[in-house]
Amino acid sequence: MVKKLKSIVGVLGLAGLVLAGCTGGQQAAKGDSPSSAQAADGSFKVALITPGSVSDAGWNAMAFAGLQAIESELGAEITNAEATGAKIRDVMRTYAQEDYKLIFGHGFEYNAPGVELAKQFPNTVFISSSGAETATNAGSFRFYLEQGFYLAGMMGAKMSRNKHLAMVGLNVPSIVSTFRGFEAGAKAADPNVKVTTVLLTDTKDAVAVKQATLQVIEAGADMIIHQANEAARSVFDACKEKGAMAFGSNADQNGDTSGVVLASAVIVAKPAFVEVARQVKEGKYQGGVTFIGMDKGAIDFIVNPAKAGQIPDDVKAAVEQAKQDILAGKIVVPKDEF
Amino acid sequence: MIESLISVLLFTTPLAIAAVGETVNQRAGQINIGLEGMMLVAAYVAAIVAIETGSPVLGIGAAIAAMIPLWLIQNFLTIQAGRDQVVVGTALNLCAIGLTSTLYQMRFGQSGQLLSVPQLPRWGGIDGMVLFGLLLVPVLGWWLFRSRWGLVLRAAGEYPDSVRSSGFSVARIRWEAAAVGAVMAALAGAHLSIGVGGTFVQEMTSGRGFVAVALVSFGRWRPAWVLAACLLVGGAEFLKFYYQVRQTALPYQLFLALPYLVALGVLVIVGKNSRAPAALAQPFRSNQ
Repeated sequence: MVKKLKSIVGVLGLAGLVLAGCTGGQQAAKGDSPSSAQAADGSFKVALITPGSVSDAGWNAMAFAGLQAIESELGAEITNAEATGAKIRDVMRTYAQEDYKLIFGHGFEYNAPGVELAKQFPNTVFISSSGAETATNAGSFRFYLEQGFYLAGMMGAKMSRNKHLAMVGLNVPSIVSTFRGFEAGAKAADPNVKVTTVLLTDTKDAVAVKQATLQVIEAGADMIIHQANEAARSVFDACKEKGAMAFGSNADQNGDTSGVVLASAVIVAKPAFVEVARQVKEGKYQGGVTFIGMDKGAIDFIVNPAKAGQIPDDVKAAVEQAKQDILAGKIVVPKDEF
Repeated sequence: MIESLISVLLFTTPLAIAAVGETVNQRAGQINIGLEGMMLVAAYVAAIVAIETGSPVLGIGAAIAAMIPLWLIQNFLTIQAGRDQVVVGTALNLCAIGLTSTLYQMRFGQSGQLLSVPQLPRWGGIDGMVLFGLLLVPVLGWWLFRSRWGLVLRAAGEYPDSVRSSGFSVARIRWEAAAVGAVMAALAGAHLSIGVGGTFVQEMTSGRGFVAVALVSFGRWRPAWVLAACLLVGGAEFLKFYYQVRQTALPYQLFLALPYLVALGVLVIVGKNSRAPAALAQPFRSNQ
């Protein structure tokens, strides 16, 4: 009897722990429920769903910066959560039911679920970062990051000692497309340069990302660009260990403590995020794919000021010229449709 | 070539230490499905303490200390209460993922910075943990098969009634075996974040704990074989990138299948005499 009691107490204790652990995993649950009542008095609620932690100093962090700008500039009430795979629909539906007016899904994978749920929740707008499906209350951004990658490829090709560049990133269509831009830039600068691609299946496995980067450096690459999200640290560490240089991506990663980042190809998402939120708030949003590139200031290539001395002036000039050519439409950077 | 071998050794060490620890556990009749979760908690705790104190060694100590509550809860449920080991282990994994993700997000969630962790010092590409892992195998092998403690422990996994009638406590033996497994899980997890990774990422164990559990049976419950199995898998992981980087004509996916093909071959040739501990995953009730 005593034994049975003991075991029941034990199971309850463990169940409690599991519950405590699980609920915390989604920040969405935190502090949302009391606010749904306020929505009735007209407060504007905006949610962001990211595939990974917003502390990746890259893809997810730049979206979070956009969300924060919506809070400060439009006085919106904001929240964010991480969701991938089957959880995407659940989290989106939860937000829509709690009267969120605008839900950002930060990636290609949020496009289809958003368009699907848009039919059930006509008062909520679903926006995904990349993706081609749209509805009157659903659409996407298409950031022309290939332009930034093109310039990184040019700089890399001109500065590589071994004439060998590498790209390390997740195997998803939007990322593979940016790698096309990088390769095009590298080949434009030097047709003989070698460009190696290493595609990953999972960026949570930071250890495998590091192993992949070490190997590509071992094979001769000395300029690495990445799309490794939260495992970017592992890419930079591997570069530092083996004496290679790296390019940051999505957000400005020039200040990274590893000291290997030469320049970053960045998306400036803030103005785009705030603009779409303003349209939604004023009830003017129409749906569709918003294509934004360098001409709108949404894409940039920023040289690390601390490394500027290591970059020869003619390389800087060539990259600047290419930037002007892209802006003038003389260079059209290749990209994939997805 | 030498450099590649050292790299395989370094990247396989977390897997190998976890799997060898799990071998002791399974020999005593317990299957620790919660190994993945234990490693994840250890990776997190080691990373945080190493960041706070600047000392990776203190990080390892803290990771071991963090195993105490997990060890107590898990084995109270499985050994004392006789609950299903697989269910308890699964609960532990869910708990660990939720707990580490929540703590990580509370502390670093909105910081916008990548986590950089002080790393263990290396000599010629290997660190102390690699040497420890290599030493561990003969020591544990001797302990399991040549010492009195090992004999009793293996008996607890084969025929626990005999252990009891010889005047030993099955529960006590299993608590001890679980402690060895938990310490190894701590070292393995800590090595992931402060040894090879140099960072902490949510869910960074990425299934290594489950692979370790599987490799114990592949290694036929013998530490040296388990180590060999780990190196085989680690080698195949290495080849996966090796061929992608060198862009050979063969699709690299082929090499993903390599360790499984080898495993199949090994099982066909030598598997006939291999047998799991008879009392594996069975709770022992002394009042029966």
